[in-house]
Amino acid sequence: MKLLIVDDSTMLRDMLSYALNEGGYNDVVEAIDGLDGLEKASKAQYDLIITDINMPNMDGLTLVTELRKLNQYSKIPILVLTTERSDDMKTKGKAAGATGWIVKPFVPDQLLKAVNIVLTK
Amino acid sequence: MSGFDISMYRDMFVEEAEELFESADNVLLEAENNGSLTDEEMGQLFRDVHTLKGSGASVELAFFAEFTHDVENMMDKLRNHQIAFIPEMAGTLMDGLDVMKEILQMECNDEMNREKFTEMTSELLVTIRAYINAEGASSLASVKEVQAEEVKTVEKTKETPSSNSSESWGFFGEETANDSTESVSSDENFGFFDEAEKITPQSKIEEPIKVEEPKVEEVKTTPKATTPASKVSSKKEAPTKKVVASTIRVNLDKIDLLMNNVGDLVITNAMLTQYSTTIKETKVRNSVLERLELLERHIRDMQDSIMSIRMVPMESIYSKFPKVVRDISKKLKKKIEFKHEGDSVEIDKAMIEGLTDPLMHIIRNSLDHGIEMPEDRVSAGKIETGTILISAEQANGQMIITIKDDGKGIPGEKVAQKSLENGLIDEQQMATMTDNEKAMLIFGAGVSTAESVTDISGRGVGMDVVKTNITKLGGVINLDTEIGVGTTITIMLPLTLAILDGLDIAVGDVKYILPLSAIVESLQPTSEMIKRIGDGTQDLLMLREEFIPVVRLHQLFDIEPQHTKLEEGMLIVVKSGTTKIAMFIDEFLHQHQVVVKPLDKNFRSVEGIGAATVRGDGSIGLILDVMGIIEAQKKSESLHADHREPRKRNLVAS
Repeated sequence: MKLLIVDDSTMLRDMLSYALNEGGYNDVVEAIDGLDGLEKASKAQYDLIITDINMPNMDGLTLVTELRKLNQYSKIPILVLTTERSDDMKTKGKAAGATGWIVKPFVPDQLLKAVNIVLTK
Repeated sequence: MSGFDISMYRDMFVEEAEELFESADNVLLEAENNGSLTDEEMGQLFRDVHTLKGSGASVELAFFAEFTHDVENMMDKLRNHQIAFIPEMAGTLMDGLDVMKEILQMECNDEMNREKFTEMTSELLVTIRAYINAEGASSLASVKEVQAEEVKTVEKTKETPSSNSSESWGFFGEETANDSTESVSSDENFGFFDEAEKITPQSKIEEPIKVEEPKVEEVKTTPKATTPASKVSSKKEAPTKKVVASTIRVNLDKIDLLMNNVGDLVITNAMLTQYSTTIKETKVRNSVLERLELLERHIRDMQDSIMSIRMVPMESIYSKFPKVVRDISKKLKKKIEFKHEGDSVEIDKAMIEGLTDPLMHIIRNSLDHGIEMPEDRVSAGKIETGTILISAEQANGQMIITIKDDGKGIPGEKVAQKSLENGLIDEQQMATMTDNEKAMLIFGAGVSTAESVTDISGRGVGMDVVKTNITKLGGVINLDTEIGVGTTITIMLPLTLAILDGLDIAVGDVKYILPLSAIVESLQPTSEMIKRIGDGTQDLLMLREEFIPVVRLHQLFDIEPQHTKLEEGMLIVVKSGTTKIAMFIDEFLHQHQVVVKPLDKNFRSVEGIGAATVRGDGSIGLILDVMGIIEAQKKSESLHADHREPRKRNLVAS
């Protein structure tokens, strides 16, 4: 399983990587913003992409929209990291084509649970 | 968060936060000056603060996240044009960032509690919330607040009928709709995006949970109310696709390691070349040597490329200053414009750390002592607003940084008087000094001309530390001042700490490398130039009316020299700060660039040796630490203090 995490915070990328590694996902690639994420995603095939929403250069929702336009990512699960649980977020997330959402700050167990579900369904 | 070492991530966060604060502060400063904020700037502000909140909460900084939430709210409203920007807001938001910084620091030190939090934030929160609720979008604002409260209540009423109430994620997808509809309740921390209709039943689930709370009814209006606004914002974010070169963060150690590896390559190459010269067949030998030359060139290119990785633009130092200038000038009620030039001039990353503090200090000094009060400026025929200009350029293989102010200048006479009192100079010296030379004495220890000590500068420590720090970086500091016109401080630095120009010197059969930057002059002394004093162990070189103590390197390093008579060998006058010494050596050899390598920790530190390098032939070359040698000399001097007392003052050359 090859995972791509996209977040502009080094610390959060580290935390995500750590949690995913603990959960047995060792092939985790990091991208620093939407643009970087899009570039990395188009150069290799990932099985799951987790992205932050608020990022410089390209935000997470735009990234999801762009990824969905690519054949190779039309069906790949994409989770967005969000600080809010609002319906607004849900409307936008769905409109962009994301698979699901994870609230920040995340609990490692919860993160892994969500990841396991999308990857095994 | 089990399994997480929060403290480690906290350190990381603090580092990251510093950058985010800086970025946000600078946008706000600009906004305060221009009285306006562009959409792009608002977007950036929001992102910075949003990241601060999210990351802060992730490392369990609850107070920090709580207060940041309000600041973020205000920025969100600005970004979405729900409230209009007025210039005073910039000040409020900067105050907000300052409070955030304080909370962050206190919370990291475990010094935070609810009482302090309320005390620190309540006043500012009133202002921030007033702004948030100010404009026509009051209904939206109240919705937001209710939302915020709702989140809190949800957290309080943790138990819900749903089975996995503690989930922090969810899906929007159809495939999982069946099993997720019951599991995804309002307080899930994750979810899956479902069809639009599916969201409504989901959100209906929250109703039975807190029917008793009347506010929930208001929340129900949220989707309708926020959708139009959200459309505006998403439209704005999408087209700003800037093509920015992608960057990665790399630990400086890794680059140093790479540099070391290349150094090894250089040595291997040199060994190969040496070996190849023994090939008997001329044709083979020549073609091998030719190719080795090519290899050497490639290695040199590689060295240059690695060096360029270490270089960062001066901007990264400059960006720390505008906020400081603003805060201090506000405090002092002075009007000051801060200008910077040469933002894109590159500097070795390793130098930034050592350079930021001295520059900050110089700027603080200019603010405090240099620039006059507006009314004084006017009566002196100057414009009301003072200017501090910092500029950087690369010239002659050096980095030149200039800090210039148009303030009142440094009163040389006063500084000299103070130096005289402190015993840094004697009366005779003072009489022969020019005004500028006198002003230069502020780089001496414990000299401050400020009439009153302020909390900004003026404790008399500082400028000497500035000089020491610059010297440590291999740099030179200069000062040019004119009463009533202003002061210019010039700092000259080597371009990098990793490579230095060195001179090979020989003592006995040992070769050392002396940094060229430390050398003042070299000479073969005549016997008339040497004075022997004290108990007969200390020689002094008399050079143009100046007494310079002689340090015999062979004694310091315990080596059998070729020459023991000063007249037979060479003396190299070196300088660190204002102190000069003459090093006695056998001879000096050639000059070359060396790659500086730190001495391994398992070597006992030797006084007078600063670092090492690997020579072309693979042998190790030791680089002399001039400051260390001077220290050693001072120490031996104080051992014979009673003999030295009468001439001690002469030792400090201006």
